Amino acid sequence: MYGWRGKRIRFNLTKGTWDVEETPYEYRRKWLGGRGYNSEVLYNSVGPDVDPLSPENVVCLGVGPMSGTFGPSTGRVTVTAKSPLTGGFGDSNMGGHWGAELKFAGYEQIILEGKAPKPSYIWIDDDKIEIRDASHIWGKYPRDADAIIKEELGDKDIHIVTIGPAGENLVRFACTFNDCYRAAGRTGHGAVIGSKNIKAIAVRGTGGVKIANPEEYFKICSEWRETMRTDPMAQGLLNYGSLILIMPCNYEMGWFPWKNLKYGYHPDARNISGEVWSKKHLRHKEGCFSCAICCGIVSEIREGKYKGEYTGGPEYEAAVPTGPRVGIIDSETTLHNAVLTNNFGMDAIEAGAAISWAMECWEKGYLTAKDTGGLELTWGNAEVVDKLLRMMTYREGFGDILAEGPWRASQKLGIGEDCLVVTRGMSLPGDDPRGLGFGYGLSFAVGTRGGCDHLRSLCCLELSGYLYPGLNKKIVGTEECSKPLVTAGKPKMVYWEENQKAFVDSLQVCCFNTHWSYGCRNEHLVPMLNAVTGLDFTEDELMTIGERIYNLERAYWAKMLSGKYEDTVPRRFTHEPMPENPAASSGKVLPLDEMLPEYYKLREYDPETGFPGEKKLKELGLEDVAEELKPYRKKYIELHKGKKGGKKKK
Amino acid sequence: MEQTKFIMINPEKCSGCRTCEMACSLYNEKECSPSLSRIRVVRNEAIGDSFPVGCALCSKPVCVEVCPTGANSIDPELGTGLINEEICVGCKACVRACPFGAAGISYRTGKAYKCNLCGGDPMCVKHCPTKCLEYAPLELTVRHRRRALADDVIAKLKGEG
Repeated sequence: MYGWRGKRIRFNLTKGTWDVEETPYEYRRKWLGGRGYNSEVLYNSVGPDVDPLSPENVVCLGVGPMSGTFGPSTGRVTVTAKSPLTGGFGDSNMGGHWGAELKFAGYEQIILEGKAPKPSYIWIDDDKIEIRDASHIWGKYPRDADAIIKEELGDKDIHIVTIGPAGENLVRFACTFNDCYRAAGRTGHGAVIGSKNIKAIAVRGTGGVKIANPEEYFKICSEWRETMRTDPMAQGLLNYGSLILIMPCNYEMGWFPWKNLKYGYHPDARNISGEVWSKKHLRHKEGCFSCAICCGIVSEIREGKYKGEYTGGPEYEAAVPTGPRVGIIDSETTLHNAVLTNNFGMDAIEAGAAISWAMECWEKGYLTAKDTGGLELTWGNAEVVDKLLRMMTYREGFGDILAEGPWRASQKLGIGEDCLVVTRGMSLPGDDPRGLGFGYGLSFAVGTRGGCDHLRSLCCLELSGYLYPGLNKKIVGTEECSKPLVTAGKPKMVYWEENQKAFVDSLQVCCFNTHWSYGCRNEHLVPMLNAVTGLDFTEDELMTIGERIYNLERAYWAKMLSGKYEDTVPRRFTHEPMPENPAASSGKVLPLDEMLPEYYKLREYDPETGFPGEKKLKELGLEDVAEELKPYRKKYIELHKGKKGGKKKK
Repeated sequence: MEQTKFIMINPEKCSGCRTCEMACSLYNEKECSPSLSRIRVVRNEAIGDSFPVGCALCSKPVCVEVCPTGANSIDPELGTGLINEEICVGCKACVRACPFGAAGISYRTGKAYKCNLCGGDPMCVKHCPTKCLEYAPLELTVRHRRRALADDVIAKLKGEG
């Protein structure tokens, strides 16, 4: 067998047992790997009524056929579980070296079922597997737990997935790390792992990945690597990490997420730009496995009251939520907050979103000192942000409410709907579609894991497409869609990108290599996959696999009775014109309703419910799913009787 | 006089991505596996430091000296490492003797392997995305190192660092 190692481990944590299962050829060809495998397992094992924090939920960690090879950036891992944050489909992916190590040990996927009776960690040493006691590392920060396990197992070169105190305390947006700082941030599966009493999964693999056509694979990957090395977008990422985005995002396009995404511009944004950051804070470059770009960094604080603190990253989405989003514009405090979120093991985006939501509620008078236990939630109050991050992690006082995420917090307190920047229960990241692009806005509304889905489609055709003339014409059919703030062609762009991203995610290749710069396109990926596996995939087949995965994830939401009425973005983007600024976003709103109908048509969604259409599901080989959704369609129609189609619920 | 070329490591540029390991193992072993790579990256994830360790092409190669069968040698023409698999018995003497952990035993053949510089165009150097590895004559790589240090110190003295 080439590419795949063809095995996965299914743990029954309640009993303390595991099975090593073979994945048959048809299964591999249908779902590819990582995201595809995980989505299939989640859909078929966790029903709509399961409480995400109960033992009935399942956590899957998956890698793909190209993981652990010379292919650029093939080390990513998808983590999937029913999300405790949104209550729906949840997955997230991380870089690092753990995924490749799992492959070297001989597996494509780990499935965690049930609940361990006491704090435990898993040790996979090639084909030797153990569940070990973790009571001595319970409560530790991921980086400390990592060090203790390495010491204990006597090998500092093993790779370990860990959760932090936030995961143990069931903070609904706790995340998972590997190699200390590589986070699968979103949807809160860290809490699911915590609820299963699992602290870490350590892996050592000494095997390898067989390549069907080694010479050809070496040649194609080398060409791709060379393209990446000369690509302007990739060069920016190599030199400055993803904070390179700050300058164009603020000064040109105007989507700088200032104060809970109310504003898109700040004159001092330069303070936290990649260019300034690399001079002030860069300690070292830090690349994921086999990466051609190496956008990762380790940052340190060299002066001031936080002197001596250091952490991995932060990348753009980990720096801005507890920085500009809460009204902080200096890099020391931003980095200090990133140190805290990494140490506690929580999703920086949701943590920052929760605090910024509370700050906006405070500004508008919806929250008072009575609610917050005396804390003054004024914008940019660094001391309060520091306190709240700790209080959320250990679920103390007002932090206990915020640890539920802003969506649940607002419901609990019965306030602040107009301050919520949330779709399907999940906060949007630091990307404002009023400046970033209408394609992004559409993908936020329809993404299959909630409002964060800049990564479900990653509309780089719109953001950097202009750098590659002819690309948009070829894929979408019009060059017009290279402009971010138009609606023309955007539904098709999002549809195409979502399908492509789904199969790329299943190959576990990094989107910065395949999307961001478009250095590697399908015409590279298809022969690469064939050279690894020795099979005969075509571009059409891969896009169909992507579409199958996408529709299955959407069907999962459908069973949760979430469909077209939930396909929306926060009012902020559709009804509040961007405050005046010198950048392109000034005065813009997101014309979501103009794009949705065409998108539905392309997806062949059922017009009444927005559920995946029966014909489409059958075409994709998901006949069972089509049957299963029938009663849910009826329920959904019943639930929304009398409502106008396409309008939002709230 | 022609100088020996060797692989200089500039660890301040190493991102720990291990592309070098994959390039080595795929090129030489037709398989992707760090365990078959002649160069290995030692990483310290917590603080982000990484350091590639590979064959130093010693002037007095101890792996050659200890080899009881004569399988381990230096190619007289290319100056690169050479293992004669026909006569290697997999005794691991070279592994025990190498002070850098650069020699290894293949899990597929049971025979020793060591860096052969890919016949004069080392793939680890060629594909390193951060240019941390440098394949050049000894004197030249030392000059580069010296100049990098000088530039750094001067920049700091002028307050530009």
